[in-house]
Amino acid sequence: MTKLIKIGLPSKGRLKENSLSVLRKNKLSIKNSSRNYLSKINNFYPNEIIFSHAREIIERLADNSLDIGISGYDLLKESLPGIQKNIQIISRLKFGLAELVVAVPDIWIDVQTIADLEEISFEFKDRNVGKLRVATKYPNLSNEFLLSKGLNQYKIVNSLGSTEVYPFTGQSEIVTDITSTGETLKANKLRVLKDGIILKSSACILVSKKSLRNKYLKNKINQLLKKIKL
Amino acid sequence: MKSKKYSEALLNLFKKKGFKVKEFENIIESKIIIERSGEIFKKSLLSFEDDNGKNFSLRPDLTISACLDYIKNVKKGVHKYAYFDQAYRRTFNKESLVRNQLGCEIIGSAKLQLNSEIINLIDESLKKLTKNKTTIKLNDINIFYSLVDSLKLPSRWRLRLKRHFWRPEYFSELMLRLSSNSDIQKNVFELDKKSYFKMKKLNQNSMIAGRKISEILSRFQKKIKEPRSQINGKRVARIVNDFLKINCSFKNAKNELRKFEEKNNLNLKLNNFDIFNLRFKNDDIYFSSNIGRNAEYYTGLVFEIYKKSKSLNLASGGRYDNLMQTLGASKKIPAIGGAINYDNLLKL
Repeated sequence: MTKLIKIGLPSKGRLKENSLSVLRKNKLSIKNSSRNYLSKINNFYPNEIIFSHAREIIERLADNSLDIGISGYDLLKESLPGIQKNIQIISRLKFGLAELVVAVPDIWIDVQTIADLEEISFEFKDRNVGKLRVATKYPNLSNEFLLSKGLNQYKIVNSLGSTEVYPFTGQSEIVTDITSTGETLKANKLRVLKDGIILKSSACILVSKKSLRNKYLKNKINQLLKKIKL
Repeated sequence: MKSKKYSEALLNLFKKKGFKVKEFENIIESKIIIERSGEIFKKSLLSFEDDNGKNFSLRPDLTISACLDYIKNVKKGVHKYAYFDQAYRRTFNKESLVRNQLGCEIIGSAKLQLNSEIINLIDESLKKLTKNKTTIKLNDINIFYSLVDSLKLPSRWRLRLKRHFWRPEYFSELMLRLSSNSDIQKNVFELDKKSYFKMKKLNQNSMIAGRKISEILSRFQKKIKEPRSQINGKRVARIVNDFLKINCSFKNAKNELRKFEEKNNLNLKLNNFDIFNLRFKNDDIYFSSNIGRNAEYYTGLVFEIYKKSKSLNLASGGRYDNLMQTLGASKKIPAIGGAINYDNLLKL
C-alpha cells in the first residue's frame, strides 16, 4: 500500500497564508482549505495536509505523526531536547521573521543591559519581596538565555497571551516575548534591552527524522522539497 | 562489597567522634529550594505536583536535607550529622540521576576549632580507610571578597564579582567585559536623561513593576556617578586573574599573599583571617585561591582533599553560615560540612 505523506501546516494567521503561498508559488495546487483542517496537494503523490497549531506541528513531527511541516524556529528551539533531536531543519523561510527579546518597563531608565537586570534581581531578593518575575511563553529559551547571562535570581511566570501587560498588572516585573517590529512592545511601554535578543526566528521547513529513515518517505519528501524553490 | 565496606567504616569513624548517623526524608517541598536558588536549580530537580498543585521534589542534596532536618527537629544547639544515602538530580550525569552521598555536617556552631576538626576527621578517616597519603587544599572565600573590596571599582561591579565568584565560567566572561566595553549606551542614555527630569516631577513613591520611581532614579544617578574607566578595568581584571592563580604551600600562604598585596599596592587585611591560624595533622597542605567555586552557599573556609600521587579528588566541603537562614531558619545558624567523593573513593 502506498503511504500517505503527511504535511503539517500552521492553521491560522500570517503563518498559514505565507505557508500556502510558498506551496502555490511553486505550482503545487492545494485543495480549498479555508474552513477545513484537512486538505491535500492535488498534483503530488498521495498526501494529506493537516492544519494544526504551529506548536503542535513540532510535537507531531517529533512523534512522527507528520512527515514534513512548516513551523516557527522559535517554537522548535523552545521544545524539549528530546523533541528537537527527532526533527531536522531543512531550511529557514523568509517569512515569520521575529525576535524573542527581553523587555523591561520603559520607565526603568536605569536598566539598559542584562547586567543591570541582574543587579535589580538582587535588589528584589535583598528586599525580601520575592524573586524578580519574568513572564513568558518561552520558559526554556528564557531560562537558558538569562542563566547564561548571569541572571539567576528570578522566577518564571508562564503566560499564554497578552504577556506585554504583565508588568503593569502586578503579574510580573519584566517579560520575554516574540516581536517582529517592536511596535506592540512600544505601545505597551516596554523596551528591549541592549543585549536582550534571545533568538532570531523565522518560519522553517522541518522534517521528522524517523520519516527520513523510511526509503519511500525519504524519496517523496525529497521530491517535494525539490519542487519548493525558496 | 567495597562500597558497603567503605561506607560502614567511614560512618563508624564519624560516629566515634560524636556524629549521629541520620536518614533524611526523601521528598522536600520544591518551593524551599526554588525560593533560595531561583530557576538555576529548578531545572535539575526531579519534581512532581500533588492534587493541590503543591510541587515536591526528590531530595537533591543531603547537605540541604541535613539543614532542613535541623530546622524541623533539632532547632537549637550544636548537632553533628553523618549520613550515607542517595540524592537525586538531573545534572549528575547522563547515566544516572542518582548519586550516593556520604558526608558529615556540624550545624549550630561557628567555633574556629571546628574548621580544623572536620577537615582532620575526613582526612584521617580517608587515610585510615584507603591506606593512601592525601593532600589538602584550603581557601577562605572572604579573602577574595577582601580583594574585591580593595579594588578601584564601581560598587555595582564589586557586588557583581562577589555574586558570581562561584560560577567560574560566567566569571571569566565578566572579566572580559570588565576589561573591554562600557556599562552605558550613550545614545539611549541621552534619551533616558530627558526621562529622568520628567520622572523627578512624578510621585516618588509610585510603583512601576515592583519598583518605586525614587529607586529607579537613585540607581540611574549612581550609574552616572560611577563611570568605569576601561584602563582601570583592564588592570583590575589582571589583578583578579593573578589572584586566582595563587597556589602555594599553606605555610607560605600569608607571605605569598603579602607579596601579592605589595606588588599590586592593595590591602587585603590578612590579619582578619583566622584560616592562617588553623592547625592540621596532615603536613601536605596547600593554599589555593581558586577552590570552593562549585557551591554558591560557601561563606568562608573551603577545602578539598586529594589522593596525593594521582590528584584524585576524594572529598570537599566548607563553611556555610548563611544557608540555614535561606532555607527557613528564623536566625543565622553557622554550619560547616564535608562530603566524600564516593565515586572516586571506589576507584582506589
